[in-house]
Amino acid sequence: MNSALLIGVVASSVMSGTSLLYATIGEIVGERAGIVNLGLEGIMLIGAATGFAATALTGDAYLGVAAAALAGTAVNLIFAYLVIGRHANQLATGLTLMFFGLGLSALIGRPFLGTLIAGLPKLRLLGLGIMGNPLLSFDVLVYLAVPAAVLVWWLLFRTTWGLGLRAVGENPVAAVAAGLSPSRLQYQALGLAGLLGGIAGAHLSLAVTMTWAEGMTAGRGFIAIALVIFAKWNPLWAIAGALLFGGAESLQLQLQAAGADVSPFIMNMVPYLLTLAVLIAWGWRRQGAAPAALGRNFVGVE
Amino acid sequence: MARKLFFLGLILGALTAFFAAAPLSAQQKPPLVVGAIFVGSVNDYGYNRSMKDGLDEMAHAIPGLKLLEAENVPETAESERIMEGMIQQGAKLIFATSFGHQQFAFNLAKTHPDVYFEHAGGWMMSHNFGNFFGATQSAWYPMGVAAGKMTKSNTLGFVVGVPIGYAIGNVNAFEMGARSVNPKAVTRVVVTGGWSDKAKEAAATNALIDQGADVVTMHVDSPATIIQTAESRGVYSIGFQSITAAQLAPKGWITGLGFTWGPFMTGIAKSVIAGTFKPAFVREGLGQMMAIAPFGAAVPPDVRTLVMASADQVEKGFNPFTGPVTDNTGAVRIPAGQSWGGDKMGNFDWYVDGVIGKAK
Amino acid sequence: MQRDGAAFWRLLSAQAIGIAVVALIALGAFAALLLAAGKNPLQAYVDTVVYVFGNATGFAELLVRMTPLVFTAVAAALPARIGLINVGGEGQLYMGAWLATAGELALQNHSAFVLLPALTVLGFVGGGLWALLPAILRALRLVNETISTLLLNYLAPLIVSYFIFGPWRSPESSSYPESPAFVDAARLPTLFHSRVHAGLIYALVCLGLYWLALGRTRFGLQMRAIGGNVEAARRLGIPVMSYTLVVMFIAGGVAGLAGMAEVSAIQGRLVAELSPGYGYAGFLVAWLAGTGAGGILVMSFLFAVLGSVGDMLQITQNLPYAVINILMAGILFIVLARRPIGRAVS
Repeated sequence: MNSALLIGVVASSVMSGTSLLYATIGEIVGERAGIVNLGLEGIMLIGAATGFAATALTGDAYLGVAAAALAGTAVNLIFAYLVIGRHANQLATGLTLMFFGLGLSALIGRPFLGTLIAGLPKLRLLGLGIMGNPLLSFDVLVYLAVPAAVLVWWLLFRTTWGLGLRAVGENPVAAVAAGLSPSRLQYQALGLAGLLGGIAGAHLSLAVTMTWAEGMTAGRGFIAIALVIFAKWNPLWAIAGALLFGGAESLQLQLQAAGADVSPFIMNMVPYLLTLAVLIAWGWRRQGAAPAALGRNFVGVE
Repeated sequence: MARKLFFLGLILGALTAFFAAAPLSAQQKPPLVVGAIFVGSVNDYGYNRSMKDGLDEMAHAIPGLKLLEAENVPETAESERIMEGMIQQGAKLIFATSFGHQQFAFNLAKTHPDVYFEHAGGWMMSHNFGNFFGATQSAWYPMGVAAGKMTKSNTLGFVVGVPIGYAIGNVNAFEMGARSVNPKAVTRVVVTGGWSDKAKEAAATNALIDQGADVVTMHVDSPATIIQTAESRGVYSIGFQSITAAQLAPKGWITGLGFTWGPFMTGIAKSVIAGTFKPAFVREGLGQMMAIAPFGAAVPPDVRTLVMASADQVEKGFNPFTGPVTDNTGAVRIPAGQSWGGDKMGNFDWYVDGVIGKAK
Repeated sequence: MQRDGAAFWRLLSAQAIGIAVVALIALGAFAALLLAAGKNPLQAYVDTVVYVFGNATGFAELLVRMTPLVFTAVAAALPARIGLINVGGEGQLYMGAWLATAGELALQNHSAFVLLPALTVLGFVGGGLWALLPAILRALRLVNETISTLLLNYLAPLIVSYFIFGPWRSPESSSYPESPAFVDAARLPTLFHSRVHAGLIYALVCLGLYWLALGRTRFGLQMRAIGGNVEAARRLGIPVMSYTLVVMFIAGGVAGLAGMAEVSAIQGRLVAELSPGYGYAGFLVAWLAGTGAGGILVMSFLFAVLGSVGDMLQITQNLPYAVINILMAGILFIVLARRPIGRAVS
C-alpha cells in the first residue's frame, strides 16, 4: 500500500464520514430521549437542498449551512409535534417524514439544479494542512465534526440536561416523578437532532459534491440510524463508526484507482455486514445498550 | 342520513365539475406533439443537457411543435407509465433518451403502432421504433491526443459510471489516442457503479488524482462534479456529453466531446409529420452527432492543431480499433489485418495496453 | 345480524368520510403549495382524474402500480399482528427477484407450466429466507428486527448488483449490466391485453389468504393472541418462537413475490433498480390501513392514485415526480395527527 493511497483513503474517509457523523450524533440525541427517527434521510435531504439553495442565492456557503440547520430543526419539530404532542407511531411518522423530505427537497432544489457554487472553502489548520500535506485541508464542518461529537457526549453525560434527557429515554414515568418534563426535553432533543441532521445534509451538497441532485443522500440517513446502534448510543464511538463507514465507501474507489481488483459491490456490503456482526455479538453478550423506553410513546401522567 | 346524502352529492358534484372542466382545457392542435423522457435533470451539463438542447433545436425548427418533457424518469416500469401518459396527451413521437428506457419504450411501440419511438443507445428496432446514438468510441481518440500532450505526470484518470462495453471502448480509444502522442501515458480507471452518484464521483476523482492523474475525464451522465473536483485540486479536465461544461473549469479545461442531436431529431420529427418515418440504426460520429468542445485557455496552439488534425482523420473514417491491438494483460485481442467496426463497440470487456484497471 | 350490518355500514361510511376529509384538506394544502411554486395544480388534478377514471389505459396503470404495494403491505401487516416490525420489504422484494432469476436461468428450457410455478415458489422462498434471518435473530433475542430488516434492505440490492455485473451478466448485451432476458415461458401473462399482469391476481390472492388466515383459522387466532399479550400467549402454550419464524418467513415470501412479479412481468429480466421504495410505501399502506385487509386494498389504491397524480404533475406541469411525496406525506401527517391514542396499530 503506497503512501498516496493511504493518505487518499484517510482524506476521503474523513470527507465521506463527516456528514454521517453529524447525522449520527443528532440521531443519538433523539434516541437517548426515547424517540427513533426513521425520517433522518428526509431531514438530511432538506438540509442539503436548503443549504444549496441559500448558498446559490446569497453566494455565502456559511449562510447556507445556517439555513440548512434552521430548516432541519424546523422540519424535525413537525415530527416532534406528531410523536410527542399527538402520540403518533414513531416508525410510521418517521417513514412519512422521509417521504416528505424527498418531496420537499426536490421542490426546493429544483430551481437550483445545475447552479454552480463555490461551496464551503477549504481551510488549512494553522496555515498548514495536517502533517503538512496539502491534501489534508478540509472545510470548517469537517474540523468541527469531532468537537461536535465530543460536545454532544458532554451534553448527554456531563450535564443535568443530558441526565434528564437520558432519564426520559430510560424510564419516562420515573422522570416525571423526579419533576422533569419529558415532552419538553424530547422537543429540545429533537430540535437539536434536526439541527445536526440539517448540517449533515448541507455538508454533502456544499462540500462533498458542491451540487444538488434529487435524493442525493442515497440512504445515508438510514446508514446513520444503523451507526447509532453500532456506536451503542455513544457519540464518541460514533466517530469511529462514521470513519469506518465513510472509509468503506471510499476505500474501494481508492483501491480501484491504484489498480487493485475489487468488486465495488462486495466492498460496499462490508459496513452493513460489520454492523450486523457487531449487533449480533452484543446481543450475544446481552449488552442491551439501547435506552429502555426507546420507541415507546409515552402516554402518562401529563 | 340526510347529512350522508349531502356529502355524497357534494362529492358527485365535484367529480362532475372535474369531468366538465376537461373539454375546456383542450387547446389548438399543434403539427406534432413530441414526448421526451430524461433519466436525470437537464441541468446536468451532461448527457441530459445535450438531449434537451437537441430537442429545443428541433422544437425551434418546427413552429408550433409541442414538447412534453419529463425529467428524472427512472429506468424502470415507471418510464413506461410516463411515456404512456404522454401518448395519452397526444404525443406521436417519443424520444426515450436513456439506455435503460429501451425495453419499456419497445413495449409501448408494440401496443401503439401509430406512435413512433426513437431510443438512444440501444439496438432494438421495429417498424415504428428506431435507434440512434453517437459513435463515441473513435471520437475519444482525439481526446486522448489532447490528454497525452497536456499531461506532465503521464497519468490520466477516467471515471466510468457503469462498465458497459461502450464505455470501455471509450476508455480504450482515449488511451490509444494518448499513447499515439505520448508512449508513456497510462490511464487509470475507477468505476462508481452508477451513471449518476455525485458523492462517489467526487471521491473517485480524488482517488485518481491521489494516484497521480493530472488529466481527468469521465463517462458518466453529468461531468459537473468530476470537473469541479478536478478544478478544485488544480488538475486538467476533459468533458463529455455536453460541450457546455467548459464554464465549470476556467483554468483546467482542455476540451471535451459533446453530442449534437439537433439535426437528427429535427429530421425525425419532420419525417413523422410527413408520414415518411423509416426505422434505422443510426450511429453518427464527429461532425454529425458529435462535436468537439472549444479548447480551454490553457491549451497551446500546437496541441490544438494536433487534436483537430486527429479529429479530422476520425471524421474521414480513421478507426483506432484496427489490429494488432493488445489488451492490458498482453493478449492480442484484435489481430493484424482486422478491425472492429461500429457494430462491435458494445462488445468490449477488455482494456487496451496502458489502461490500469479490470474490465470485468 | 341486521343491526350488526347497519352498524358496520355506518362505521365504514364514517371512516370513508373521515378519509375523504383528510384527502381534501391535503389536496387543498398541496394545491396551495404548488400555486406558490407557480404551477397549476387544478389542471393536474383534472388531468389525472380524466386519465385515471375515464381511460382504460390509465386505470390499468393504476392497477399495475397498486400490485407491488399490496404485496409489501401484507408483508408489513402480517408480522405486525404478532407485534413484529418488518421494514424489510425492499430487501425481501429484491431477494425474491434474485432467487426467481436464478431459477429462470437454470430452468430456461422448460415450458411455462414448469417455469411459472417454479419461479413463483422461488420468489416466495427468496423473500422468505431473507426475512427469516432477522426472525431468527429476533427469536434468539439477539437483534431487534426493526434494525436488522432495515440493514438487510441495503445488502439485497448490492447482492443483486453483484450478480448482474458478474456471473449473470447478459452476454448479448454486455453493453448494459442486466441479466439475460427471461424467456417468454417465464413471463407472467398479462390480462385483457393491458399492462395489468397476473401478479395482480397473486397479490389479491395473498390479500385474501391474509384476511382468511387471520380471521378464520386457528393460526390467525393464535397470532392475534400473541399480538395482544405475548406473555399470556406463551403461558397458554402458544409456541411464540415458532410463530415468529413462520410469520416472518411468510411475510418475506409475500414481498418476495412482489420481486418475482417485477422481474417476470414488468422488467422481463433482473436489473439493478427494481423498486422505487415499494417496501417502505407498503409499510405505510399497512399502517394507514390499520393492518386490515380491506384497508390495505383501499390504501394501496389511494397510493396508486397519488402516483398517477405525480406522473401528471411531471408531464404537464414540469414538476419533479418526487414532489408527489409531499402530498402523500401531507395526508399521512394529518392522519397521524388525528389518530386517537390507544388505537391498535403496529
